[in-house]
Amino acid sequence: MAELLQYVITGVSLGMVYALIALGFVLIWKSSSVANLALGQIVLISSWFAYGMLAQAGLPPWLGIPLVIVFALALGWVIERFTLRPLIGQPILSLIAVTLGLAYFFEGLVGIIWPKSLASLPPLFPQDPVHIGTAVIKQEFLWAAVIALVLFGLLSLFFRYHKSGIAMRATADDQMAVQACGIPVTRIFSQSWMFACVIAAIGGILISSIGNISKAPLVETGLQAFSVVILGGLDSFVGCMVAGPIIGLAETIGGGYLTKLTWEGIKEVIPFVIIIIVMIIRPYGLFGERRIERI
Amino acid sequence: MSLPAGIRNYTYAEDMAIFRTKTHWFFLIALLLVLFTAPFWFGNHWLSIANRIGITIIAVTGLNILTGYCGQLSIGHAGFMAVGAYTSAVLVGRLDLPFIVGLLGAGVLAGLIGIIFGMPSLRVKGFYLAITTIAAQFIIIWVIEHWTSVTGPNGIMDVSPASFGGIVLKTITSEFYLILGITIIAIFAVKNLARTRIGRAFVAIRDNDLAAEVMGVNLFRYKLTAFFIGCFFAGIAGSLLAHTSRAISPDYFQFKDSILFIGMIIIGGLGTTIGPILGVVFIRLLDELVTQLSPTLQNAFPDLLPGFTSGIAPMLFGLVIVLFLIFEPRGLAHRWQLFKAAYRYWPFSY
Repeated sequence: MAELLQYVITGVSLGMVYALIALGFVLIWKSSSVANLALGQIVLISSWFAYGMLAQAGLPPWLGIPLVIVFALALGWVIERFTLRPLIGQPILSLIAVTLGLAYFFEGLVGIIWPKSLASLPPLFPQDPVHIGTAVIKQEFLWAAVIALVLFGLLSLFFRYHKSGIAMRATADDQMAVQACGIPVTRIFSQSWMFACVIAAIGGILISSIGNISKAPLVETGLQAFSVVILGGLDSFVGCMVAGPIIGLAETIGGGYLTKLTWEGIKEVIPFVIIIIVMIIRPYGLFGERRIERI
Repeated sequence: MSLPAGIRNYTYAEDMAIFRTKTHWFFLIALLLVLFTAPFWFGNHWLSIANRIGITIIAVTGLNILTGYCGQLSIGHAGFMAVGAYTSAVLVGRLDLPFIVGLLGAGVLAGLIGIIFGMPSLRVKGFYLAITTIAAQFIIIWVIEHWTSVTGPNGIMDVSPASFGGIVLKTITSEFYLILGITIIAIFAVKNLARTRIGRAFVAIRDNDLAAEVMGVNLFRYKLTAFFIGCFFAGIAGSLLAHTSRAISPDYFQFKDSILFIGMIIIGGLGTTIGPILGVVFIRLLDELVTQLSPTLQNAFPDLLPGFTSGIAPMLFGLVIVLFLIFEPRGLAHRWQLFKAAYRYWPFSY
């Protein structure tokens, strides 16, 4: 039983971070119907940038982390302005392919600037493990969950009350009407990309403070975020927050118990199996808008 | 547009001919001559590159049917190629069946697996389908890595060279002829497939699936057919790759290869016969250029970052894909059309 509690707590906290990253995906999808398949690579490049700031340049966290956020803002703006905006109105295939091209580009860029395969951030949180009941948890997990929850709360408030948050939701609803109201739609797109990149960067810092910074796991974080959005529903913020912990739990509990029954490393494919199952049973996800579209 | 001025078709056969004018035939024969004599004046290095190009052309041609003609995005094509490679390796290596059985078995099994993962395409499209095929890629590679009783430790397997009857194709030259022959058959088959009812049904589904269904195209059947044919080609390519590289590991079929295949059809031109050829040749030659040049650059400029050699290739590929999408979404095939038109009407381009 001791392990179960351990799995539940780590799974839920990891899931929160996945949910946070997935939120960035949903944000872009809702405002501009672009599927950002470069999500994992954005997480990757911003984690390495954080490494560059905090470990290589040796900046203290209060200075380094804001710099990472500024970097993420710039990254989001550049991506939107130079690759997505020229493609507005193009078929969905082009929009998907352009993010795949970006994914390739970022992986190469990271390979050039940080040729190391493994690195770790300097500790951002206290290191002593916490005892909850019978489970022993690294503090990073709890901090990650708390930060993810707080950010989720802040973002919901932003979308509920702030003017540009409301403009973003309106754009998601009806682009024509928004344009008629005098809201520049392209600026909204730009903002949603910047937001998404910042969220991805924070998610990346949280994930890499739990584990290490290396290519494969961080890119996989992006793939896990895809399974979160598919399970939760592509256009639902709440769906993200519910599906994130489910995916996290499936990963830790499934990985913990199924490994003995099946092959090693079952953990890696659980998100993909969930994707396939959701696709067959309920393609719009748990909370997604149920669009009636005959194919 | 596709014929020079003054050429008219008087019979149906003339209208349907792929090679219509004397110039067409001249260039075709010249190209075939060059290709079939290539081993005599290519070095071994370039011959092995030509082999890789040929194998990739087969796989990408399959992807072009699926994505270019039928509009069903698949980002798991390298996974289907892996299915073919391992099927063929097991059939020939473990069960001692002849190579031709392994080759066809690879195609058929890859096609069937493609149908299974293509099932969701009946309910979903666009991004959902993309994610499903990504999931397919990872699940397939994971199964290959872990099903060690069939695929060997970590999925690394030795494969025997291809053979027909008693003739074993051991040398790189004989492999070149094998791949060249199959590539030509594949391209010819796809060119003709695109002009049949099936090909036109694919295009109809791509352009507007609802309208296609109303006109009597059975979406269920044709989408799965597209998945079968596309993955069949991938399986054939995988089998050739296995038998020419003599050893296979899951590393040959990574997710980034799947992305690169998508990039190749975009660079070449979606839904054209010549597109995959141009795209593959372009990317592979770029790859070769980078591999040749980057050590030199690294030596010439010691200040370059140490990861330059390994990182520059993916960075360039990504950049090329993005630039093509923005500036020439119809790909090199369209440029080639423009060039031909300009050449025909020269010097009176109006």
